[in-house]
Amino acid sequence: MLISVEIPESAEAARAGLQSGALPLGGGTHLMARLNDEAAGDLRLVSLRKAGLRGIHVEGATVVMGAATTLADLEDDARLGYLSRCVRSIASPPVRSLATVAGNLFVPQPYGDLAAALLALDAELDVLGAGGARREPLERIVTGGLPAGELVTGVRFTAPAPGTFRFHKASRRRLNSGSIVTVAARITVEDGLVGDVRLVLGGLGRRLIRATGAERVLLGAPLTAETVARAAEADVIEPVGDAYASAWYRARVYPVHLRRALLGA
Amino acid sequence: MPSTIVTLTLNGTERELIARPSTTLLNALRETFGLMGAKRGCAQGGCGSCTVLLDGRPAVSCLIPVVTVGGSTVDTIEGLADGDRLTDVQQAFVDHFATQCGFCTPGMIMSATALLDRNPDPTRQDVTEAICGNVCRCTGYEPIITAVLSAAERRRDAPQSPATAGL
Ligand SMILES: Cc1cc2nc3c(=O)[nH]c(=O)nc-3n(C[C@H](O)[C@H](O)[C@H](O)COP(=O)(O)OP(=O)(O)OC[C@H]3O[C@@H](n4cnc5c(N)ncnc54)[C@H](O)[C@@H]3O)c2cc1C
Ligand code: FES
Ligand code: FES
Repeated sequence: MLISVEIPESAEAARAGLQSGALPLGGGTHLMARLNDEAAGDLRLVSLRKAGLRGIHVEGATVVMGAATTLADLEDDARLGYLSRCVRSIASPPVRSLATVAGNLFVPQPYGDLAAALLALDAELDVLGAGGARREPLERIVTGGLPAGELVTGVRFTAPAPGTFRFHKASRRRLNSGSIVTVAARITVEDGLVGDVRLVLGGLGRRLIRATGAERVLLGAPLTAETVARAAEADVIEPVGDAYASAWYRARVYPVHLRRALLGA
Repeated sequence: MPSTIVTLTLNGTERELIARPSTTLLNALRETFGLMGAKRGCAQGGCGSCTVLLDGRPAVSCLIPVVTVGGSTVDTIEGLADGDRLTDVQQAFVDHFATQCGFCTPGMIMSATALLDRNPDPTRQDVTEAICGNVCRCTGYEPIITAVLSAAERRRDAPQSPATAGL
């Protein structure tokens, strides 16, 4: 049961509101669904809707998104065309108009498709804690979590050069379905050889996976079906089974979807 | 935490309610305002039968604590027709047999209305994407897609009567 909802009007007031053990509420598309499930316990929330954390700023190649920016805001922004495939693969329009960027970073797998894209883009988070504001690599938060009482206020990353960002999500249905395998990558190819690569997998573990083994295989190699097949063998993939797909199926089809993500076929 | 007073612009009129922290927008619409169009199907964001327009955007009202949206504009299916005069989207649903049991229809029409207000010339793919969060157990979706495309066509031919005229 939801026992309190604060609606602070600044990020600092929101952070202060978390001290009582309350959780930040973005769009509520994960938290409220859990609460509506009768089994959920008592919860206190601090809504970020009016805390001034919504908006997208692009300066040169630097992109900064407020934590409470909605997925619909991203979808509408022509400057973020490279994220459109990812965003439109998430839920449905009436969910995306509520769902926030920061909320996506903390939902359990197989959700977190935007988080996969942002991790591939090596995003940094603006975090507000008791000791003030600081920046943290998203990668650290994905592995270690965010300390209780702290708040993400923004996400920043360098926009990928044209043609260097890949996103591919395999799901049960073409639209509005959780991930079976999500592949997000930033990859540059020079003279047929992979010059730089950052590869992230969703749907294949309890957390997002940075596929460092596959990255090592790809780096400096020709971007061919043969290389990608070897890359798909390079990481330990221990997927989870759920209503979307069994663990066995996910492991089985991962190489296919890595190939589709990197080679388009 | 005590109840608080929340103000909404609901179907064009300013309305107030006293809400507990746990009151969702959907509950407020149905139980306080007696607007039964939006339905509680799943309460998980998955079926779309509770879809309303929040500040002009389609949104699942079952996942919104109403206290967080004070000051917002909310439009529901009840606000669309002008007396007996249906909007173009509503009329197209009737003409194309796009409703059977009717449980999904209010949410479906709000999603379709939101689409046409932003994109007057949608492709079939645009329509499918716009209603992908609205589950229909009866129609098989085809009549719904046809209805939305035909409403768009009719609106292009008669641009003086937008679906949300009167909102
Ligand atoms: C029908 C349906 C389908 C879905 N399909 C997908 C899908 O395909 N892919 C996908 O990725 N997701 C999917 N989701 C999950 C969810 O909608 C999204 O992940 C969304 O981005 C979550 O954001 P939110 O703001 O609604 O999160 P909330 O529910 O508000 O919060 C989620 C978590 O993040 C924490 N949090 C929120 N904001 C902050 C902050 N600023 N700082 C620190 N912690 C914070 C909350 O405390 C909570 O633990 C789906 C959900 C539904 C209901
Ligand atoms: S009742 Fe809200 S989406 Fe199903
Ligand atoms: S008409 Fe019955 S659910 Fe759509």
